[in-house]
Amino acid sequence: MIEPSVFMDEVNERQGVFQRRAFLMGAGFGVGLLALGGRLAHLQILEAERYKMLSEHNQFQFLQTPPPRGLIFDRHGVVLASNRPDFRLLLAKDEDIDIDATLANLNVLVPMDEARLRRLRADIDAAPAKAPVALVEDMTWEEFSRINVRAPELPGVTADMGEVRVYPFSGAFAHVIGYVSKVSAKDVSKTGPNADPILLNPGFRIGKQGVEKAFDIELRGKAGARKVEVDVKGRVVRHDPAGDVAAVPGSTIQLTLDADIQNRGLEIFGEDSGAAVMMDCRSGDVLCLLSAPSFDANRFVKGLTSVEYQALAGYDRKPLYDKALSATYPPGSTFKTMVSLAALDAGVDPERTCVCHGIWNYGGRAWHCDSVHGAVNMHNAIKTSCDIFFYQTALLVGPDRIAAMARRFGLGKLFDIGIPGQRAGLVPDPAYKRAHFPKDPVWHGGETPSLGIGQGYLNLNALQLCVMVSRLANGSTALQPRLIHSIGGIVQPAGTQAPALAVPKAHLELVRAAMTSVVNDPGGTAFANIKSHLNLGPIKMAGKTGTAQSHSYGSGSRKTANVAWALKDHAWFIAFAPHDDPRYALSVLVEHGGFGAAAAAPKAAELLRVALLKDPDIRARITAPPLPAMAGATTSAT
Amino acid sequence: MTASAITQAGERDRLIVKLGEIDWTFCLFITIITAAGTMVLYSIAGESWSPWAVRHLGLFAVCFFAMIALALVDLRVWYAVAYPIYGAGLLLLLAVAVIGHSTMGAQRWLDIGPVRLQPSEIIKIGLVMALARFYHGLSADKARLSWWLLIPAAIIAVPAALVARQPDLGTAILIAATGGVIMILGGLSLRVVGACALALAAVAPPMFMFVLKPYQRARLLTFLNPEADRSGAGYHIIQSKIALGSGGLLGKGFGLGTQSQLNFLPEKSTDFIFSSMAEEFGFAGCAVILAIYAAMIFMALRMASVAHSHFGRLAASGVTATFALCVMINGAMVMGLAPVVGVPMPLLSYGGTVMITMMVGFALVLSVRVHRYSEIARSRGILL
Repeated sequence: MIEPSVFMDEVNERQGVFQRRAFLMGAGFGVGLLALGGRLAHLQILEAERYKMLSEHNQFQFLQTPPPRGLIFDRHGVVLASNRPDFRLLLAKDEDIDIDATLANLNVLVPMDEARLRRLRADIDAAPAKAPVALVEDMTWEEFSRINVRAPELPGVTADMGEVRVYPFSGAFAHVIGYVSKVSAKDVSKTGPNADPILLNPGFRIGKQGVEKAFDIELRGKAGARKVEVDVKGRVVRHDPAGDVAAVPGSTIQLTLDADIQNRGLEIFGEDSGAAVMMDCRSGDVLCLLSAPSFDANRFVKGLTSVEYQALAGYDRKPLYDKALSATYPPGSTFKTMVSLAALDAGVDPERTCVCHGIWNYGGRAWHCDSVHGAVNMHNAIKTSCDIFFYQTALLVGPDRIAAMARRFGLGKLFDIGIPGQRAGLVPDPAYKRAHFPKDPVWHGGETPSLGIGQGYLNLNALQLCVMVSRLANGSTALQPRLIHSIGGIVQPAGTQAPALAVPKAHLELVRAAMTSVVNDPGGTAFANIKSHLNLGPIKMAGKTGTAQSHSYGSGSRKTANVAWALKDHAWFIAFAPHDDPRYALSVLVEHGGFGAAAAAPKAAELLRVALLKDPDIRARITAPPLPAMAGATTSAT
Repeated sequence: MTASAITQAGERDRLIVKLGEIDWTFCLFITIITAAGTMVLYSIAGESWSPWAVRHLGLFAVCFFAMIALALVDLRVWYAVAYPIYGAGLLLLLAVAVIGHSTMGAQRWLDIGPVRLQPSEIIKIGLVMALARFYHGLSADKARLSWWLLIPAAIIAVPAALVARQPDLGTAILIAATGGVIMILGGLSLRVVGACALALAAVAPPMFMFVLKPYQRARLLTFLNPEADRSGAGYHIIQSKIALGSGGLLGKGFGLGTQSQLNFLPEKSTDFIFSSMAEEFGFAGCAVILAIYAAMIFMALRMASVAHSHFGRLAASGVTATFALCVMINGAMVMGLAPVVGVPMPLLSYGGTVMITMMVGFALVLSVRVHRYSEIARSRGILL
């Protein structure tokens, strides 16, 4: 059946054109669809692997997990720095989240004051995009669980458990160990270990002082990672434990310090300001490195408020200042040991006497002594700390020999004990003056007697004096102090790996004997004060007092009893014990403490007592059974 | 011949006969693609019927019955309402330009009571019908080259310009391209076609520089090198390609498309649904869908070519052109072969108005087949 219209030319033409062109159109679309199919095959078959990788890269992220910070132990394994769990709240920065509303809701659960909220806002604004911000740290378990339950009301807020540094003996080790605190913008560098992205982890802390700073890299460890699936906003959807990379904990550091001695040291200093450094004079191990008063390092971990900081910084006894390493003082009469050794080295006869009238005129001015000692030889001059003897002896020997002897004992030197902050102080001699005093390059005649009693330009720190007395007590080795016993189990070189002291034994014996007299013989400067005695039976201490001017007296009175604290003299005491077989040596400084015998010697005695009583050999000597004859006498008397 | 069995007058108008004349295979293909779309929508919503899958399927069910019903409507009725529908669409387009509702910075919607109307969708069908209606009354000579052709040119240009102003570049291009295809099928001189192509090539660069909005320019440029702007305009294309490519040969599996599940893929339920599908069902799934699209285009063109009326031929092929162009543009867009313009993938993409438009269009195609023997008298004049 054929429609009549088909035969109409004009209609026929329209239909014909349509048919041809519709066919072409269909073919065109067919080619187009084939092209699409080809493109699909290209993407989905040829390049599939590449896109699969890109897709996984989209899908999975590795979230850093901070490594546990290495522990710090004392010589006996007492923990000095460890980590405790820290319940905290993190806020994910996300454009979807109304931060104000979240903070308002949070405020109901964990009340915060205005200033705290303002600081939080600033923290949140300053944080890089996508990096979570620690909102609240160190919550109690109650707060933590309360927030966990109410989590849906706090979009973007996640509760998590981190770790935070804790120093169990808050203050005693604050200057040695230092502290960790939050990473500031200037801590992060483009290269080197501080380019590690773990530094941006919320709540991550780095060492800012002492051992924590010096061994920050070793203590830090290596960050691990949690493999998580994230959505387009970077929110964690799932955790894939199989893909996790475990964090490598930081190395453990063992110090040579003894927690008992160090803690006792802080106790006995009380409100006094000063430093105490004790070394094992056989090994060079530093047993005590104390600066007092101290501060609670744990407060720095949390972050000090400005009020707290002002209080610490404004206190005139400077708790933040490390007086054992960073402060230098004239050593006063403790330096007479060096002058004596220099004199002996120069061939001066130790029995040569000087006559002390309490005052001596030299170079057009009067030189004073504490009292009138009469004729004194070297032993008695040390024992009674006669200034006149040492003015004259110094002149006899000359500054160069004295300075050389002082340097041989480590004075004016910096020691590699692993932590920063030491100041070398100064052991002056004419050559030094020529080089460093362009306006007055002359060594004046009056400077030598001053040097003889440990005054003048002479400035030393407590560690140096401890090294000095340790070498004196050791006698054979120029001991090096060692503070870091081991890092990650690798034991550091011992202090005995040092050159010989090269001072004749007889000279040392003479000085040591005089130092024994200082404490144990009537007339010794430390004998009168009963608190300066060890009271450990046969175990005796040898020492030397020192009283150093903290300012120039000019023509004023030298009496120090009633002057203001800041104007009082610094009190020194150096000591070792037992006197006959030295094991422990120490230096004690009491800033503005007055006389060394009164302020410093009792502290030294107490610290040595702690050290000696911990030593089993010493205990054996003290508690040795009485002699049989004595025992018999006691029995017969009963 | 198929018609030989029908002897009695009015036999073709019987409902049962008409239903038999509907191309059910074509209907089946429509259903398969919609079902695939529903599956993808279900999957990317986190294996949930809400918010997309249930509404997609529900609307399709309604539209399917409407399509069958409309397919039974006499082609002469379609013919009669061609200009009114085009006119109404044009008025709505004008209205949307004045009081339209703005989403994503473009005025495309018109709120009429509870219904949200997208006039650019209505005009797609209206345009096809109006052009078919016009060419039905135009002689082959005039259709080849005459001043009369200014009328279809205007029929195309006015709505295309209005839609482009919204701005909805994708739909405007679609409208213009569909109109162009109908004019060519209507018998436009191939010399003119060639001249127009040359002219287009000549005006395109200045158009690009001075007429397009900066964001449109950015989109056009970005598809050539999406890596240049990873987080901005290139993001869509990069993520879409990652979704496609990572699907591989067999796909990541139902409900396992990370690109869409984790929202890396933007507009995953609408413009980029093909990428979502490709990610989960791989090249195999995509090839099947593309093959079905090809089959549908072929079948629709065959339905157009068997029509006895010029109106029927041009209307059915016009709808087919719209449908095919949608598939091509969207496909090229998600595969990084064309700039990102807002053209959805027919039947797969979620979106009410697009679904209605497509189903009404298919109803017209089916109606052309059902009424392929209908003679439509040429009107007295060309326009009426």
